[in-house]
Order: sequence, then structure tokens, then C-alpha cells
Amino acid sequence: MTTQPQKVIPAEYIPDVGSFIEKIEGKDYLITNDAMYTFYRRTKGEFSSFFLALRDEKRLFGCKCTKCGLVRVPPFLTHCPDCNFAPTEPVEVGQVGVMNTTPPITYFATSLFQHMAPYGRGRVIFKGADTALSVNLYTTTGILVPGIIKKGTEVKLIFKENRIGEMTDVFCVPTAELTEGQIQKKGLQESEINWEAPVEPVLPAPSQEDISVYNDALNEIKSIISEMNTNERARKDVIGWKRDILVKTRGGRFAIIIDDGDIRLEEKELSSPDFVMVSDDPNVLLDGLAYRGAITDSVIGKKLWISKNMEFNTIFKLDRMARSVARSKKG
Amino acid sequence: MGKRVGIVGAGVTPFKGTWREKTYYELAQMATRGAVKDASIPIQDVDAAFYGIYNDIFERTAIPEHAIHGLLGMQNKFGIRVTTGGATGAYTMSAAHAYLAAGRFKTALVLGVEKATDCFDFSSMSATPEVIKSIGWSGDSFFEQPIGWTASDSYAEVVLAYMDEHPGDLKPEVTAKISSLLSEQVKGNKYAQRQFDQVTPEEVMNSRMVAYPFKELEICVYTEGASALILAEEETAKAISKNNGTPIVWITGLGEANEHSFAGKNHKQMSRIMSDHLASHRSYEMAGIEDPKKSIDIVELHDAFVHQLEITMAEFGLVPLGNADSLIEDGLMMPGGEYVVNPCGGLIYCGHAVGASNIMSAWSARSELIKRDLKTAIVHGTGSTIAQFTACQILEHE
Repeated sequence: MTTQPQKVIPAEYIPDVGSFIEKIEGKDYLITNDAMYTFYRRTKGEFSSFFLALRDEKRLFGCKCTKCGLVRVPPFLTHCPDCNFAPTEPVEVGQVGVMNTTPPITYFATSLFQHMAPYGRGRVIFKGADTALSVNLYTTTGILVPGIIKKGTEVKLIFKENRIGEMTDVFCVPTAELTEGQIQKKGLQESEINWEAPVEPVLPAPSQEDISVYNDALNEIKSIISEMNTNERARKDVIGWKRDILVKTRGGRFAIIIDDGDIRLEEKELSSPDFVMVSDDPNVLLDGLAYRGAITDSVIGKKLWISKNMEFNTIFKLDRMARSVARSKKG
Repeated sequence: MGKRVGIVGAGVTPFKGTWREKTYYELAQMATRGAVKDASIPIQDVDAAFYGIYNDIFERTAIPEHAIHGLLGMQNKFGIRVTTGGATGAYTMSAAHAYLAAGRFKTALVLGVEKATDCFDFSSMSATPEVIKSIGWSGDSFFEQPIGWTASDSYAEVVLAYMDEHPGDLKPEVTAKISSLLSEQVKGNKYAQRQFDQVTPEEVMNSRMVAYPFKELEICVYTEGASALILAEEETAKAISKNNGTPIVWITGLGEANEHSFAGKNHKQMSRIMSDHLASHRSYEMAGIEDPKKSIDIVELHDAFVHQLEITMAEFGLVPLGNADSLIEDGLMMPGGEYVVNPCGGLIYCGHAVGASNIMSAWSARSELIKRDLKTAIVHGTGSTIAQFTACQILEHE
């Protein structure tokens, strides 16, 4: 099987040549699509052996000062500045470590990492090391939320199947989510772990009361979405954005259509939505749209399920629209 | 000890989310025009220029200061650029002070300018992801950039490490209250990006999580703008002040420190911002301040994040480490409290035009000292990964 080579810059990031005018107080101002790009054949130099060991041997190396014995991982220097530049020597360290501190979790990522969000990045002191290696952190149980990985949590280094000699070749998961055999295995690969596949929550059959709650919430959501659609600040939040979203709640289903500055609610099923939102209680979405709490936080808190993590982007935009309407009301 | 150096003029442009009407050339000139006008001197009387411009990518050119040097009337004179991440503006003031104190020049222009939101992400059709990507190029390029390093997540690492050590501090209701307070204070700053964006603590608590533990309304905003100061050595400063009638605000103390950028034994202690501690205490020592709690009246600190504002206040020695929440709980930064903290609204509400931000803070501290007839202020800039860099200045109004 042949695969298409991956480009250094994916096509979706590259704009067409062009320009447009923005009018401010009656005057025209010119804006041009542009890029400042430089390609590299990047030298890995003294780090080559570290990255090659990750890529080819699934081994993790640090460097040990021949004088003070400090083991630095990654091996970011050849001579120890604390010992008047005494030489260091390579040393292999373990593939289990502990979190140096509680790691942050990024929900709103840069344009390069939106496909990864939410992701954790934290510092791990591997067995035999004195300094911490920055790694990506995941849980096998779904979306990473605060509390799963904390200071002192034991984690295991996992190797991806396709490795290119970058820090993206590895990541860590809590050892509590692995078997003893997996923890002990050197060079454990991603494919050897049981990842819980995202399963759409099954909603119970609605009662009359559920349907009544749904109808009340739906009316309010309709009114808010129609207000968003007439609010210039909110419309600006979804310029250039197109998504068909199917919303499923216990009492009923509807669609939210975002179409390049327009947003509308349609009381219908979508056969091929871009993504699905599921929430037992329709008021969870209503509160978010009414700016009584962030929809993002409902996803993080597992009150609202989304079928694609990368659609956090759309969730952010809905949160942004709610804030835009609230700000406009303040004047 | 070198010559005394004082601030004799200052100017800022409006801080805005985006300036479609101006390039950074014009923004730089606007702030400079304001500063020389405030000092009542012609630009020809300024001996040297010190440029605080953080990021080549924002300005879309690798030597952004070259074009503006002559446009500001500084041709054929000394010009140097400083870039130290978020601490760029504060470090630029330190550099200018050193040259003036050493007697190399009598007057200097300190100019910070940044154009940030021309960066645009065509995949999400919004600027912010591309702005934070551009800042993301500032992280370690071998080990951290490829796995999603951002300014937010690196500062969040420090904040979470502090919370590991002091689990009862930085309570969400306190960080929300501080953000709300800053949003009230910004009302008086007509140059601020968010002058009329007042928020309640409840709104802060309800705002979306951006990078745990930071919520959207607890984070500084990206800004375009410029700010400028005219500094002068003692005799020149006195002559300028006599002419324009504005009191001199002296820079009596300076301190800087850059920590390790990797963590672990003998490296960065993640639960502390030692750069803030060392830089502030070095500036106290130079200014002869023995007890900052008694001496400091105004704090203009670089609040990239509310949580970091609290830790920085503790590292300054103004509240105890582990009880930074006393800023609100004991009313220390509330109206009428011990300290006036970020009267300009800080970077969260006035805006963060990176190279210009700390210079804007100095502009605010100077004007607040004069307006309120108070004696001492501290100005602060923090930057780089894991709050690695700090520069501080003590300003004194006689």
C-alpha cells in the first residue's frame, strides 16, 4: 500500500493569493493574504542519538555528568555547566516515571494543534533521571480532564507506531490504566493499549415531563439563536465557518446550522451532520448559549458529549457568540 | 553607582485588538510623537533609541526596528532592539537606563511597539489560533514546540505547580474577583482595549476554560499598539522638567533575572517564579527599599494571567507565598487597600501589545504617581517559557 507523503504545511492552512478592503469610518483599508514561510532541513546535531534511539530502538536516553552525577533527560547538553563544563556521558533511563507537577490541559490550541485538543503536556521525571522531560499526556478513558493526572502520578512512556525522530513519537498515559505486563514492557506501543472508543451515550426514552422540559428549552434556544443571528458581533464570530450540528437530548432532537456568519435552528434530523452533540438535559446547551456557563466546560465536565474532539473549535465559537450577545446587551 | 535617570516624557497609542488603519511604522511614530510632546522637546534632542519589539513574526520582518529608526527622526544616531519575550518592554527600559547611567547619552527614547493580529489562521478563519501559534514558535524548538507548547500552557505549568504546594490558595472565586476588579479599574484608562468591558466575578467564573486552570476572562488579550518614554540623565532631566513643569519620576532601582528553562533537580523550581523574586528584590536593594510592604504604593505588573499576578505579588514580598488570596480576602488590592495594583487595567484589560506592554505599565505608573501624589511604584515584565524572564524597575516621585 502506498501512502501520500505528508506535507510540512497542510493545504488547509494555505490561503489563496488575494486581498480585500475593510471599511472603517468611511475609509477603505487594504488587507492582503500573506505568509512568511521558511523551510528547513533542521539539524538535530548532538541530539541525534537521543531521537534515533526513540525512533529506531524505542529507548530513552539522558546524559550523566561525569563529575556531579546529575542525570538530565532529555540530554540537552554535552558538558555540565554546574561542574565547570565537565563532560557528560549517555545513560539509558527507565520508561516509567512520575509527574514532576500537575500538568496543564490545553483546550483552545494554536492553529497547528487544534486537531490534538484537548491535550495535556507535562513534565515527567523518569526512573533514573534528575530532570523532567516534557511529554504529551493522554488517558485511555476518553477526554483528559483535570484530576486524572496530577503531581506524583506514575506514568508510562508509550511509543507511536510511525516514528520520525521527534518528541511526537512518544507520549505518556497513567500506569493505573495499564496492566502489570504493559507497565514492565520496554518500548510499549500505542497499538498494544486498549483505548476506549468514543461511544455515543444512549438516551433513555422520554417521559411526558421530559418532552415538556425539552419544548420549553427548545423555545428559549430558538430565541437565543435567532438573537445571535441578528447580532453583528456574534455573526462575526462565525464568519467563514460552516457546520451542520445534530443535537440529541432526552426529550427530542434538532439541528443547528452555522453557515458563514449565519446561524439558525432547524427542527429536523440531519442524515450526515458534521458532528453530534448529546446531552441528557437540553438546559445544559441552553445555559451555555444564554451565557450562564460555558459550553466548553460542559463538554469537559461530561455533561455534553461531542462526537469529534476537534469540534471543540465549534464549541468555542458558540461560547464566543454567547459572550458577544451578552457584551452587546451591556452596550 | 552611575548617574540618576528619570522619566521626563511618555506617550501611548490606543491599545486595540486590531489596527487596520495603521501599520507598526505609524503606531511607533504616534507613541513617539506623544512622548516628545509630553517632554516638550524636539526629537532632535533625543540621543539614542531603544526598541522593545518582541516577535519578528508579528511584524513580518526580521529587523523590524530598521524601518522605523529614520521615520522617528533618529537617523544617524544609536539604535538597538531588545527582545526578551513578554519581558521585552521592561528589559528595554533596563537597557536604556544602563546607557544613560553610564553617561553614554543624555536622553533616550524607549519605544515599544507590536502588531500582533495580522496573523490569521485560514483553517479556522480567525486570528487568535495563529497569534498563539506565532508565540508558540518561542518555545524550545527541539523538545517542546512539536508537542504543543504554548505561552498559556507553560505559565499554567507554573501556576499548577504553585497550587500543588499551596492547594488552598488561588481560589477560583478570588481570581474571578481580581479579574472583575481590574475590569472596573480600566474604566479610567481611555487608551485601553477593553475600557468598557466590565465583568462580574460570576461572568469570570462562567467563562470558558482555555487551558486548565485558566479561564478566558483571566487571561490577557492580544493587542496592537505602541508606547514610548523619554528618559534623561539627572541634569538634563531637571532642565526638561523645569521647562515643561512636569515632575521627574526617577528610576531608582532595577533588577533582572532569567531562570533555567528546563525543570528538575538543580533546574527550574516549578512552584516558584524565582525570576520575579530575584528581580524585584534586586530592584529594592538598588533603590534602598528595606521593606517593600511599607514602601510600595503602586504596582504595575505584567498580569499575563490572574493566577500569575497573585504569585508575582507574593514573589515581590507584598503578600505571603501560600496566601496570595489575601490580596482580596484581606482587601490589600481592593479600593482603599495597601496597594494600588494595575490601575491601568493591566494587560488583561488594557491589553498586551507585547513589546509595548511593560512600557505602557511604566507610562501608567508614572502618571499615577504624579496624579495621586504618591512616592513609589514597581513596574514589572515577565516572559519566556515557564515565567523564566523578569525585569523590574522602581519608580520614585519626589
